[in-house]
Amino acid sequence: MERKKQYYNTITRRLLIAFFCLSILPITSFAWIMKNSVEETNIFKLQELAKSTIEHRAEVISRFLDDKINLLSSLESLFSQEYLFSQANVERIFLAINRTGDIVDLQVIDVAGNQHAYVGPYRTKVEGKNYNDAPWFTETLISGIHVSDVFSGYRNTPHFVVAVTNSLKSYVVRATINSSMFNALLHSAQLGPNGDVFIVNRKGELQTPGLLEKNTLSIEEKQLLSFDNISNSLVTGTDVYTTRWIHNGHWLLVLRANIKDSLGYYLRLRNRIFLIVIGISFVAIAAATYVSFALARNFERSDKEFAALGLQFSQVEKMATVGRLAAGIAHEINNPLQMITNQAGWIGELLPDEDPAQIKNLDEYLHAVEQIKHHVRRAGTITHRLLGFSRKMTAQQESVQVNDLITETTSFVEREASYNNIHIVTRLASDLPTTMTDGPQLQQVLLNLVGNAIDAVGKEGEVTITTWLEPPDKIVVECADTGPGIPSDNLPHLFDPFFTTKDPGKGTGLGLYISYDIVKKLGGSIAAANRKGGGAVFTIVLPVNRFRRQG
Amino acid sequence: MKQFDVLVVDDEAEFRDLTVKILNKRGINARGAESGEQAMEILRHALIDVVLLDVKMPGIDGIETLRQIRIQNPLVEVVLLTGHASVESGIEGMKLGAFDYLMKPIELDPLLEKLSFAYEKKRLHQEKIELAQMKKHMAMPS
Repeated sequence: MERKKQYYNTITRRLLIAFFCLSILPITSFAWIMKNSVEETNIFKLQELAKSTIEHRAEVISRFLDDKINLLSSLESLFSQEYLFSQANVERIFLAINRTGDIVDLQVIDVAGNQHAYVGPYRTKVEGKNYNDAPWFTETLISGIHVSDVFSGYRNTPHFVVAVTNSLKSYVVRATINSSMFNALLHSAQLGPNGDVFIVNRKGELQTPGLLEKNTLSIEEKQLLSFDNISNSLVTGTDVYTTRWIHNGHWLLVLRANIKDSLGYYLRLRNRIFLIVIGISFVAIAAATYVSFALARNFERSDKEFAALGLQFSQVEKMATVGRLAAGIAHEINNPLQMITNQAGWIGELLPDEDPAQIKNLDEYLHAVEQIKHHVRRAGTITHRLLGFSRKMTAQQESVQVNDLITETTSFVEREASYNNIHIVTRLASDLPTTMTDGPQLQQVLLNLVGNAIDAVGKEGEVTITTWLEPPDKIVVECADTGPGIPSDNLPHLFDPFFTTKDPGKGTGLGLYISYDIVKKLGGSIAAANRKGGGAVFTIVLPVNRFRRQG
Repeated sequence: MKQFDVLVVDDEAEFRDLTVKILNKRGINARGAESGEQAMEILRHALIDVVLLDVKMPGIDGIETLRQIRIQNPLVEVVLLTGHASVESGIEGMKLGAFDYLMKPIELDPLLEKLSFAYEKKRLHQEKIELAQMKKHMAMPS
């Protein structure tokens, strides 16, 4: 039993695993693959977009710087040194070129570092200042052009310096450019609300504050500085970085695009898909569990039915074999019995011829002969019943109302039963149809069952006979008693010939065997069981035959 | 009881001889035959009223013997005796015109009763035939 249970558990487990592999695993892996590939595609696209954006911005900024340099260069080529050394002239020029307002101040300095003209807000501070020692001044004189990093200086606003010298290197024109102009130029390059664009120099100092107003670089951003390629890109867990060196490699334009920003729609979609997948998985698990358990239970039930059927079949087979065996034995016994009765009869014939005076015990002999005959008769009765002599199965077929038969049968035993306080209750279905069957034979069966029931109850109890019609065409007769019931060891042998629990000499053990045989020959079946509340119940199922059976 | 002639056909000598002895003692002319063939032979020559015939015998069995008796001696009554389970063979025998069939073990008195009933039937039957023949003779005097 335990092993069987284990077997069905194994089936359930295997089914569950199979269902899991067939439903949840594919869904999950499909979702996983989709998630990854869509994410990768999105990042790739974002990278492409960032690259083209930064390309464009780099160009704009370069042009801005070139613009300023060109402006200063054209100043020194348009005007003579004398003209530029005049404060009034420079003021006029400043007004002309500074329509946009991005030039903070304009200075003209001679080779010796002396300032000749200054236009701008800090005139008092720079008045008479010598720039000869300033590194930027030296650099300008050497390379002709200087563009500084962004610094605040005493101007207190971020700015940077552009300085050019003339071809003869006799003076320097220097302009301070408000670097907040860069912010305006970079603003349009921002990709998403968490994206950022900024410029850093080689030392990692921010040249523009960045759109998100931050002051320091993250580790990843510092790492970007170590790349020397003109343009580069880096993907971190949260961001896509694209960089481009501008201004002859002095400045690095960095564009940071937040993956979450651009993946917003995708992420929402992904979450929804996850929810759906989880939902489907739950449903699938529930369904798989239900189906697995249901299937295993079905297996178990059909196995049980099959086993019961097998048992029933072997019972039928056993009864047939036992029947044949009994008949064979009965036959073999009949011949010797015939001889015994003949010999006894012969003695009985001859004894009266003897002289009574010569035989002392004549009466005893005659009595013995009678006894021999009596016992042979008894043995003969048993063999005859076994052989079916008393039940000719060319049985007469007549229309029988089983209910009437039961009423008649119970009337035979009612009186005897009432002596022992046994009450016979009949619950007969009023709609029971008549059937073509052998009434007397059936009555013999009923009498047998009721008799057994009364014997089983012994004293004080009840025997209940119930009939009903089992649609479409089966008559069921149930005979239940309130006796001690049938020990389960006896149940399989109940219908065997010579099986009896009654005292020796009281029962032949043929009653139920013959009942079984009769019912079977009438086309029905008989079964015994124990009632839940105690006592035994015998059930006869008979077919409703509407026409005389042929043969 | 009227005297009549019985032929006991059974392959078992002990049974056959004893039955013959008992019947003779009861005043019935009985003789035995150990097989169907022998029984047919006896029936051809001797006057027999009733045959007690065992169904199961080696050689030609009781049912076949019965069939031949019906052809050869239609007036002879046959009582079948069977120790065998086959009620069917008894029924078949009755259909073939046996007077009745008995199941072993059978006691002497019922056996005698059955045999005399058979003889009675045969006698009545024979009487009817004789009566008819008489009528025929009277209707057509030669």
